[in-house]
Amino acid sequence: MKNIGLIVMREFKERVYKKSFIITTILMPLMMVLLSVAPTLIMMFAKGEERNITVIDHSGVIASQLTSDEEVAFTLSEDGDLQEALKRSLADENFGVLYIGRSIIENPSDIQLYTNASSSAIVEEKIADMVEGAIERERLKAYNLENLQEILDEVKADVNLSIYRNDDDALASSSSLFAGIVGMILGFVLYFFLVIYGSIVMSSIIEEKNSRILEVLVSTVRPFEMMMGKILGVALVAATQILVWGVLLIVMSGVVLPAVMPAELVANIEAVQGGADLTAMAASGIDTEMVTDLASLLDTAYITRIVVLLLLFMVGGFLLYAAMYAAVGASVDEAQDAQQLTTPITVPIILAFIVTTLVMNDPNSSVVFWFSMIPFTSPIVMMARIPSGIPAWEIVTSLVLLYATFVVMVWLAGKVYRVGIFMHGKKPTLKELYRWMKY
Amino acid sequence: MSIISARHITKSFTGHTALDDVSVEIPQGSVYGLLGPNGAGKTTLIRVINRITIPDKGEILFNGKPIRQQDIYRIGYLPEERGLYKKMKVGEHAVFLARLKGLSRHEALVRLKGWFTRLGIEQWWDKRVEELSKGMAQKIQFIVTVIHEPELLIFDEPFSGFDPINANLLKQEILQLRDRGATVIFSTHNMASVEEICDHITLINKSHNILSGRVDEIRRRYGGNIFTAQFRGEEEKLRRATASLCEVMECEHDALSGITAAKLHIARTEDVRHCIAAVNEAVELRSFAEAMPSMNDIFIRAVNGTLQQ
Repeated sequence: MKNIGLIVMREFKERVYKKSFIITTILMPLMMVLLSVAPTLIMMFAKGEERNITVIDHSGVIASQLTSDEEVAFTLSEDGDLQEALKRSLADENFGVLYIGRSIIENPSDIQLYTNASSSAIVEEKIADMVEGAIERERLKAYNLENLQEILDEVKADVNLSIYRNDDDALASSSSLFAGIVGMILGFVLYFFLVIYGSIVMSSIIEEKNSRILEVLVSTVRPFEMMMGKILGVALVAATQILVWGVLLIVMSGVVLPAVMPAELVANIEAVQGGADLTAMAASGIDTEMVTDLASLLDTAYITRIVVLLLLFMVGGFLLYAAMYAAVGASVDEAQDAQQLTTPITVPIILAFIVTTLVMNDPNSSVVFWFSMIPFTSPIVMMARIPSGIPAWEIVTSLVLLYATFVVMVWLAGKVYRVGIFMHGKKPTLKELYRWMKY
Repeated sequence: MSIISARHITKSFTGHTALDDVSVEIPQGSVYGLLGPNGAGKTTLIRVINRITIPDKGEILFNGKPIRQQDIYRIGYLPEERGLYKKMKVGEHAVFLARLKGLSRHEALVRLKGWFTRLGIEQWWDKRVEELSKGMAQKIQFIVTVIHEPELLIFDEPFSGFDPINANLLKQEILQLRDRGATVIFSTHNMASVEEICDHITLINKSHNILSGRVDEIRRRYGGNIFTAQFRGEEEKLRRATASLCEVMECEHDALSGITAAKLHIARTEDVRHCIAAVNEAVELRSFAEAMPSMNDIFIRAVNGTLQQ
């Protein structure tokens, strides 16, 4: 046991004191924030230039209802001649010509857009929306009902669903969409960790094997201790990284975000956290969905719970996968040779990642449930489910299964490792690895 | 008393047998050579002794008792293929390895500083391992092999890759360790290197122990009553004088010094004295000595012998 401790500490020091570790640990969260804001920023700065569209309207009612904005500018063609308009549009280097047929009200497909260059989905959608609205209004007009538009506006309802959970202490939980997104992020973080840190274990074993340091260690350290030391050492590094990120996140949600948000919003959030009546709030015109989402994001207890579970699943999942990666690393001489042997490892990880996309639709469907129980996929899938509020027994069962499988896997991997580290120059097949396990 | 008794060790890997019923007794305080060509099974035997590999059959006794995991800390092992973590600092690395051998951090520091000073390499302490030359790294590896003052030292092909200066240094250190009571096992295919320092040997060929014993006894056994006489004078005279006593196997005349060296086979031991007298009468005798066969000769003869069986 003392030897494992020494090896764990060596592994840990070697990796954590490296500049690259410090940089990624601190820069990663910044990158994440940047990535999440980037689309908005790009939208803000990369606004397309104004597009001039000549409109030929044979129906006589639609063109007046097309409103120009900073993206699209509509000009009504006086003569209504398509050929002429097309020619002019090309000469002026305009975006194109919109041709509205005579029977557009009866036949909404009687409309064509001729573009001089490649079209744009945004513009197309904008035009279709505006024309649709215009046609609907024209058709309603045909009924000749008084104040119809006013009646319609009055009837219109915007539902703001407040979600409560019966089995939970929390009065208001966040919306499913929000939980789904947080779940996806957590699933991705786990996926990323399993693959990255798993291959770190593999490549560093290959390196040790090639540098023949293993031969020096093996006289005093049992191969199993060496393997466990390596796996636990790297696990400790990964846990450190998660912990640093977790603490950053908790600080962000507890201190930084409330400080930068508008005071009114903060007051609302605090009201929600304090158990305010959402229905009343919704009635007074507050977007309760956003407020509850923000409330859970700022709830330190909620985030701490997620970080703790993330650590548990990450460590469990990592230990399981690292054991397999260690076995592969011990049995090959070069990283290129590992490709074939790592396939059975990466398939369940990728499968789990695909299943996480189903979690968003329904975090309790049977497919998702089983994938979050099967140890090889459970860390990623369960982590994606947790933000939606999962019964504790499911989480505990999944964790127990995961850690039990890890023990079995480590025992098998240890056998492969013991034989593998002294094998040089020959690339083993999966069948041979199986034989080593039985040794 | 044997420090290591390997009894009927058999070990096979998929496809081939590395050791087939090999028994070896290694006396306490000896410098023991484990000889044999590449692939004979020497490294496997060493790994079995070290408890790295578990034998299929047979057992290893350490000081008369079946070897246990704790006994490993009383063995120092320098493997043939040896490496170090390239990114670590030399001192830190040495402390790490020393602690794996059971020393406390403090003890490791004290002993390592002592060794570093003795070999004049204190200035390497804070260097990175990757900055060291191969010979430098070998010194570090040697130090950490002996740092825990083990009773038994095992060197697998220790001189391969050592430059002559380091090899000599290593030889001196090993002999000093023996003088302080340690037992040393050498494994090598380089017979000449063994002749100078080993007092016992075992020859392993094709997974079998084909010859074991004290070096001087083995030499005598394989020596076969052959003597060399160096003299000044006529070869014919010598042949005539000794015709009834021995057979002259070969004669070599060195024109520069004028000395002839003759190899004589004296069948009966009691004739040796008469033979010397006869040679002395016939020519101007410079030296007369028993011709010791080289380990290489013995090895080849032993291997051929087993082949004939």
